Amino acid sequence: MGQEPAAPAPAPSTAPRRGGTRYGALLRYLGVRLLLIIPTAWILVTVVFFLMRVVGDPITAALGGRLPPDQIAERKRAAGLDRPILNQYWDYISGLVRGNFGRSQDNVAISHVIVTYGAATLELVVWALIVAFIVGVPLGRLAARRRDRPADVGLRLFAILAYAAPVFFVGLLLKLFFAVKLGWLPVAGRASTNVELALQNVSPKTNILFIDAILYGDTGYLLDVLKHAILPAITLGLLTAGIFLRLVRINLIQTLRSDFVDAARARGLRERVVVGRHAFRNAMIPIVTVMGMQIAMMLGGAILTEITFEWKGLGYQLAQYLNARDFVAVQGIVAFLALVVAVMSFLIDIVVALIDPRVRF
Amino acid sequence: MRLATTLASTTRSGRVKTIAAVGMAGLALFAVAGCGAGRTNGGGGGAGLVIGTTDKIFALDPVSAYDQGSLVPETQIYQELLNFAPGATTVTPDAAQSCGFSTPTTFTCTLKPGLKFANGDPLTATSVKFSFDRMLKINDPNGPASLLGNLDHTDAPNASTVVFTLKNGNDQTFAPVLATQAGPIVDEKVFPADKALDDDAVVKAKGYSGPYTITSYDKNKLVSYQVNPDYNGLLGKAKTATVSEKYYASADNLKLDIQDGNIDVAYRSLSPTDLDSLGKDGKVTVHTGPGGELRYIVFNMNTMPGGTPDQKLAIRKAVASSIDRDALSTGVYKGSYQPAYSPVPQSYPGAIEPYKTIYGDKPNKDEATKFLSDAGVQTPVTLNLQYNPDHYGGSSSEEYAAIKNQLEATGLFKVNLQSTEWVTYSKERVHDAYPVFQMGWFPDYPDADDYLTPFFAPNNFLQNHFEDPGLTAELTAEATEPDQAKRAAIIEQIQTDMAQKFLSIIPLLSGKQIAVSTKAVQGIDSTLDPSTKFRFSVLSK
Repeated sequence: MGQEPAAPAPAPSTAPRRGGTRYGALLRYLGVRLLLIIPTAWILVTVVFFLMRVVGDPITAALGGRLPPDQIAERKRAAGLDRPILNQYWDYISGLVRGNFGRSQDNVAISHVIVTYGAATLELVVWALIVAFIVGVPLGRLAARRRDRPADVGLRLFAILAYAAPVFFVGLLLKLFFAVKLGWLPVAGRASTNVELALQNVSPKTNILFIDAILYGDTGYLLDVLKHAILPAITLGLLTAGIFLRLVRINLIQTLRSDFVDAARARGLRERVVVGRHAFRNAMIPIVTVMGMQIAMMLGGAILTEITFEWKGLGYQLAQYLNARDFVAVQGIVAFLALVVAVMSFLIDIVVALIDPRVRF
Repeated sequence: MRLATTLASTTRSGRVKTIAAVGMAGLALFAVAGCGAGRTNGGGGGAGLVIGTTDKIFALDPVSAYDQGSLVPETQIYQELLNFAPGATTVTPDAAQSCGFSTPTTFTCTLKPGLKFANGDPLTATSVKFSFDRMLKINDPNGPASLLGNLDHTDAPNASTVVFTLKNGNDQTFAPVLATQAGPIVDEKVFPADKALDDDAVVKAKGYSGPYTITSYDKNKLVSYQVNPDYNGLLGKAKTATVSEKYYASADNLKLDIQDGNIDVAYRSLSPTDLDSLGKDGKVTVHTGPGGELRYIVFNMNTMPGGTPDQKLAIRKAVASSIDRDALSTGVYKGSYQPAYSPVPQSYPGAIEPYKTIYGDKPNKDEATKFLSDAGVQTPVTLNLQYNPDHYGGSSSEEYAAIKNQLEATGLFKVNLQSTEWVTYSKERVHDAYPVFQMGWFPDYPDADDYLTPFFAPNNFLQNHFEDPGLTAELTAEATEPDQAKRAAIIEQIQTDMAQKFLSIIPLLSGKQIAVSTKAVQGIDSTLDPSTKFRFSVLSK
């Protein structure tokens, strides 16, 4: 009747094992997200390729009805567009894998265009994000704290206007007021002509004028570059600032109703500390998530901003190619932008996973 | 309470730290910016005189360049045998020491001694022969080879002598043609004989010998010129060592930048409204000069609507009878362009206004209807009318919208208006892509012939398949007639025949050259002359 000895109870997990599990989950999560980039990017570039073919091949789209059929056929043959669509698609995809985004009508490699002008767009987007954060986050916080008071109503209206107003219209207004009427800021361009010329002699040249100006070592040039960036950055940044403002406001309001916030208040913490240290950090998590989605919107806005301010970046170049009906170049740049969006989404996933443990479990 | 105080103090302390960190980072950036670790030369050197434009460079290689946007860099970097001194209407030696007819069909030039290209290569008679041979051999449809229609071949019997053999003797236009975009001398060691050289290679190789060299080239964005110390030519030493040309996508930004003094000169193309506004601004000066610019509509004789040549002619006549040039001049251009009833500017010997005489100066619907009905053309006639929005000024869209309205107001036409950016436009128009299209013309040399031969001779610049043996004979006669009175009579006849029998183009408007500068800039008025060459070397501030 002796009892079987009881099976030993599982040993309590040790700290290292717990840590290993956590990192394992994080790595698994990131691995899955990384693998998901491949089908995401593949779907995006495939959609771009076939959308461009919906209007016919690039030659017919550009010249159809205006060149005799034999000349169109000759041009299509020269460009390899008379072959089966799947062969063209295979060439396109294998080219992309090798970093070949095609060549423009004036025989410039699109990868070269991306490298040359992409830096300018990156610089603009970074400045715009900074503006979006500086404007959107504190104002969202203020709106949440002043919920349903006049300040909140005013800020909500401002947010709607900021993201609903067309970028080129906001840009024009800012330009007319700050550059023309007040004369405080330059009208257009990335730098004054002499600065732009001088920065061409920087080594290594990044094409990000802010960095090039630092490398060049002239504080006057650095200030000139910054002055030129202000209006384009505000124009593009306000677009996202409006969204940030509303997100921060609503998330903060919801967070302030949480139990842990009540607990913090019950411990006698000041409201400022409750909001700033406890509620605000939690409210910021969705902002980071939304930021990934905003990248695509910002790239779209960047095209209009670059045209308005003669900011000669990838968006400006894309507009030139669209005007020239250079569809191969347009396809290459759009495919690249699609890849940027996919990669940015992945990076945002990493950040979110790092700051919010719930995501990776 | 103690806990709360501690947390609050921690928060404040964190914020202070953040602000301090950001401040320190900013200071560090400016400190690093003071070091100049990445600077590869002694300094920026400055942009010098800055000129803004909305024009675009099509090509730097002369074989492919036949547009005003390309003429500007060509004028600065290339040298020619003969050239126009600022303000002059006749050519004088540039790279040449002397030039003249040795027989009716041989035109001989002797070069200055010791000429060299900016890369150090010697500029000899073989360089000149090479330049003209490749121009004819490549015969780029976008290039100016058509200007050399009368050149049979070129010889270089020795290092300093060039002999041009002409097809037709006594060519009164050959000397000025040498000063056109067909005439730049290039380095035979650099430029390939059978194909055009791309822009970056042109800049890198420096196979040119004009008053300036290009030191920095970002096509259609920013180009910087530095004076060429080896230049030995007509224009002499440049008054400004460094000149930069900035390219704008928007005429609005160009206007704002000249108004704010961010650039020194705005040369082509501000809108009539902007010019009107700048004329009232005390900080800038609006300069005008004789230019002889012509705006006109071209018909592709093969692809334009109409089933037979007679029907096509009737359609062209009906269009000529339906356009109101006065409305375009005053409504769209606020008087900065005048109605043109001939391709030849009225100040030139032999100029008449046959389009006014034959078709009137106001739209005449009845006559237009008669032209079409007599030829059995069904109405409304569909016209695919193409224009360019970025090369002939920002008001092109308004101009062509007005033309569309005028044509459709007759009830005889249905106009599909289309626009294309200049680089593509230049390529497509020579490939029969446009049945009816906008063009503009800046003269290559100040002579009526330059408004006739490039448009109406065989293999003409328009590439619109117009060719008529009778008119070709008249063009040859006009170009070779040394008696000026007889020559003027032939020029009158050509204009009448064109307006009456062919109408391969319809002249619309003629304009002046216009530039806007800050008050400090000197020399603009001297370069706004009939040659339409905008010479940086005469500008200073």
